[in-house]
Amino acid sequence: MPDFIERAKFSCALGGALSTVAGIARVVPIVHAAGGCAGSLSGAYNLAAGYRGVGYCGGNMIPTSNIAENNIVFGGEERLEEQIEHTVKAFNGDLYIVLTGCQVEIIGDDAVGVARRFKDENVIGASTPGFLGNALKGYDAVMEALIESFIEPSPVHDTLSVNILGVVPGQDVFYHGNLDEIKRLLGLIGVSANTFFSTGESVSAIRGYGRAALNIVLSTQAGLGPAEKFKSVHGIPYIVSELPIGPAGTEAFLRQVAEELGISAALAEEAFRAEKAYYYSFLERIVDIYSDIDFQRYAVVVADSYYAHALTRFLANDLGWIPHLTAINDIEDEAEQAEYLKKFDDISSKTKPKVIFQRHAGLLLGEVRNSWQLNRNSRYYDSFSPAYVIGSGIERSLADKLGAGFLSVAYPVSNRAVLNKGYAGCRGALSLIEDLITNLVAAR
Amino acid sequence: MSKYSDELTYGFAKAAAPPVRETRIGVCAAFCGTCGKLNENVKSGCAQLQSRKFSQSGGCQLMLAMGILSSLTNIVVIIHSPLGCCSGFGGIAGLLKTMRASKGKKEQEFVWIHTNMDQLDVVNGGTEKLRNAILHAEKHCHPEAIIIANGCVPGIIGDDIDSLASELEHQLSAKLVPVHCEGFKSRYVASGYDSAYHGVLRHLIEPIKKQDLIFPDEGLDALERWQKSRTVNIFNVGSNSNGDEVELSRLVSALGLIPRFLPLHASIEDLERISEAALNVSVCATHDDYLLGHLKERFGTPYIIDTLPIGIKNTNKWLRRIAEYFHLEDEAERLIRLENEQLLEALEPFKRVLEGKSVFVGGGETRILTTAEFFNSLGMKLLGVKAHNVDRFVEDILEETAGPELAIEVAAGQPAEELNILNKLRPDLYCGHMGANGWVARLGIPNLPLFGQSLNYMGYSGAFELARKAVKVLKNTNFVQNISANAQLPLRKEWFDSDVRENIKETESA
Repeated sequence: MPDFIERAKFSCALGGALSTVAGIARVVPIVHAAGGCAGSLSGAYNLAAGYRGVGYCGGNMIPTSNIAENNIVFGGEERLEEQIEHTVKAFNGDLYIVLTGCQVEIIGDDAVGVARRFKDENVIGASTPGFLGNALKGYDAVMEALIESFIEPSPVHDTLSVNILGVVPGQDVFYHGNLDEIKRLLGLIGVSANTFFSTGESVSAIRGYGRAALNIVLSTQAGLGPAEKFKSVHGIPYIVSELPIGPAGTEAFLRQVAEELGISAALAEEAFRAEKAYYYSFLERIVDIYSDIDFQRYAVVVADSYYAHALTRFLANDLGWIPHLTAINDIEDEAEQAEYLKKFDDISSKTKPKVIFQRHAGLLLGEVRNSWQLNRNSRYYDSFSPAYVIGSGIERSLADKLGAGFLSVAYPVSNRAVLNKGYAGCRGALSLIEDLITNLVAAR
Repeated sequence: MSKYSDELTYGFAKAAAPPVRETRIGVCAAFCGTCGKLNENVKSGCAQLQSRKFSQSGGCQLMLAMGILSSLTNIVVIIHSPLGCCSGFGGIAGLLKTMRASKGKKEQEFVWIHTNMDQLDVVNGGTEKLRNAILHAEKHCHPEAIIIANGCVPGIIGDDIDSLASELEHQLSAKLVPVHCEGFKSRYVASGYDSAYHGVLRHLIEPIKKQDLIFPDEGLDALERWQKSRTVNIFNVGSNSNGDEVELSRLVSALGLIPRFLPLHASIEDLERISEAALNVSVCATHDDYLLGHLKERFGTPYIIDTLPIGIKNTNKWLRRIAEYFHLEDEAERLIRLENEQLLEALEPFKRVLEGKSVFVGGGETRILTTAEFFNSLGMKLLGVKAHNVDRFVEDILEETAGPELAIEVAAGQPAEELNILNKLRPDLYCGHMGANGWVARLGIPNLPLFGQSLNYMGYSGAFELARKAVKVLKNTNFVQNISANAQLPLRKEWFDSDVRENIKETESA
């Protein structure tokens, strides 16, 4: 049973649903809840996802039934109906999605049913009360609604077309840049990727996603439900992979997809070799200063499961940093934790990281301290330095207390502005190195 | 005192939660027309009964309540709810840090905990998780107070957080402060301020017991009495910048009084000493009539709720009211004369730029009306104002700001209505609340924020800064022009052509 969380790095299901909807061009959410939910949740991702903004119809623009105490007593379906009616008249949307908050679900309003009455006006509904769980649950709910009620089933499937699942807008602060790069990478092996949220995607394109031959889920905590739904409704199988960061990740990703789609290993190899050559042609620039003043660091990675292994593998296998501690905040189930731990078998550094599951931000400092020998007043002490914390914005104080370098990558990120940047692939890894090293020289 | 609050009562301290503002004060949340008509309708009670056919997301009283309480020193906030309520803390925790730094306060890490209520808790109740969260906070964070915010879910299923708090309070070193701020309970989000202060009043302001000295010191007693007789509590609000506090401090000090800013960013000890003052002064009625009214009933401390010290006229008025209480009228007049003379001279070059330019102001009722008055005094043409809500506290300034014919819209948020109006009025400059300016920029109208952490708006220096900022914004408007030419608004042309008044309806109940 999920217990309390000290400084959670997720909003609720409705928050994740709104952030997901904001990731799709020209979609208008209609929230059936108390007046504050939509604006506040959308605002959270505006400020904490690298100043991502509220999107096409976010923030206080979000149409909301604004239910109050009398609706809690008498029900709010009529109010929702009135709200939908006026929203489709006033708002230009390629699709309208009714989302629900806790209050109306507890009293038993059938919001999805009300939405269904407006099917001819491009309205669909998803049940997304906050108590379903964290933001990833809201992503799943919206995706499942799209897959079930909006994406058209297709009798034929394009063998080289795939859908990408598991990348949650906002919750992955770099989702747009990452998806653009995933799409480009897959293009190198002749695969066309449908991403829902990246450049060039649209509601009408999404309607045709039923033609894909495979779904690729880049997370173990988001996207699996939608992938199952794709399988049952559209007959499309799926594989679970991971966000590729750096050469090691890129190679594994391209190989896995090529094998699954029956693409020749040689083609994948050729594509990877070109990417790797590009990566090293730039990395070479930094070799001199890296070596002259020793930029190698002990790495502490604090992230959700989406980023934790991907980042650790890049830092350890590609960059040659020492992976000391990796803390994951979003897996509660022990069997799932054991499964996730297996991912770290591919860490090739001599020193292996200690991997822990810790959802309380405030306990991480203790975890780091307990992972290293204490200084018992000895004259010569092998201290935990130089260190670098790669986490969310909340870990800034952890880094300060450790005297470590710091880069925020995982949500929430409010100390940097993120536009089209991504960390995926070999190109994204170069951006990541730029950011890591920039922070080490920024005071000069 | 205030003629508007004198007839209100504040004896709610025994109740777990205060009454919402709909019933306590009476509020208009939906109106579109002129200031004169609005005042008429507010007085007759019709305006308070209006709502809308189509509405957009506004605020939540939980956010406002926690906005106040999260600023206190050495506390932990527990959000008893699913993960979404106050998840904005992830983005604003850093802002709290820079705010404290700007005030020269000791750096502290803001810690909040979500009880993370799920489907099972909806059925079984979530007080056990809350208990665990409270114990975790006590054990790991050692705060002086633990604020417990009750969200919609426990509010609807009836979790009894007060009994749990009473049970635990004597076992912990931290004071427990339950706050009932369920979003669905009030459409008027400023109810959240009352909820927050209700918690403060019930649990955090018990005066520190004085110990008798072994050797009584009459001189010391006299000094303490004198200090109290000169101390003025100024009640700050979330939109106060440190610059505002420095400026208001300067003015009140210039009268020979001792200013003290409360309750935001205060320590628990500051709150326990809240009654050690001669006078309580509000800078914004929307925030604190509940707090000041209660302090008057409990400690007999008189208070002033009048205007917000923005612009020359209202800063003068605010100062005069304080001076009047202490019989410092002559001193105040000398100060005001000197300040006004220097300021007016400094504003001359800005006036030449702003004269004749049109402006529209949107945000909280008192703030927009005083800000609008200042722009007007610079020779700008006031096209209209938009207030989140309107209640009795602005009756006076509503009409005197720009006359009964001034266009006014009452709406918390509701950018669709506001953009409709702005698109027709097309002001040269817009000044608005957070969350509005981005939409106005997409419409291509140059804009500046109504408040901000790093800017000074209040007092005479604030007036200068506001004028300076308006002139600066107009020096290059390419950003909004480029954005409006290239970004899309989600609203249809039919909406922009429609009459906003058609969206207002008589509500089913208040």
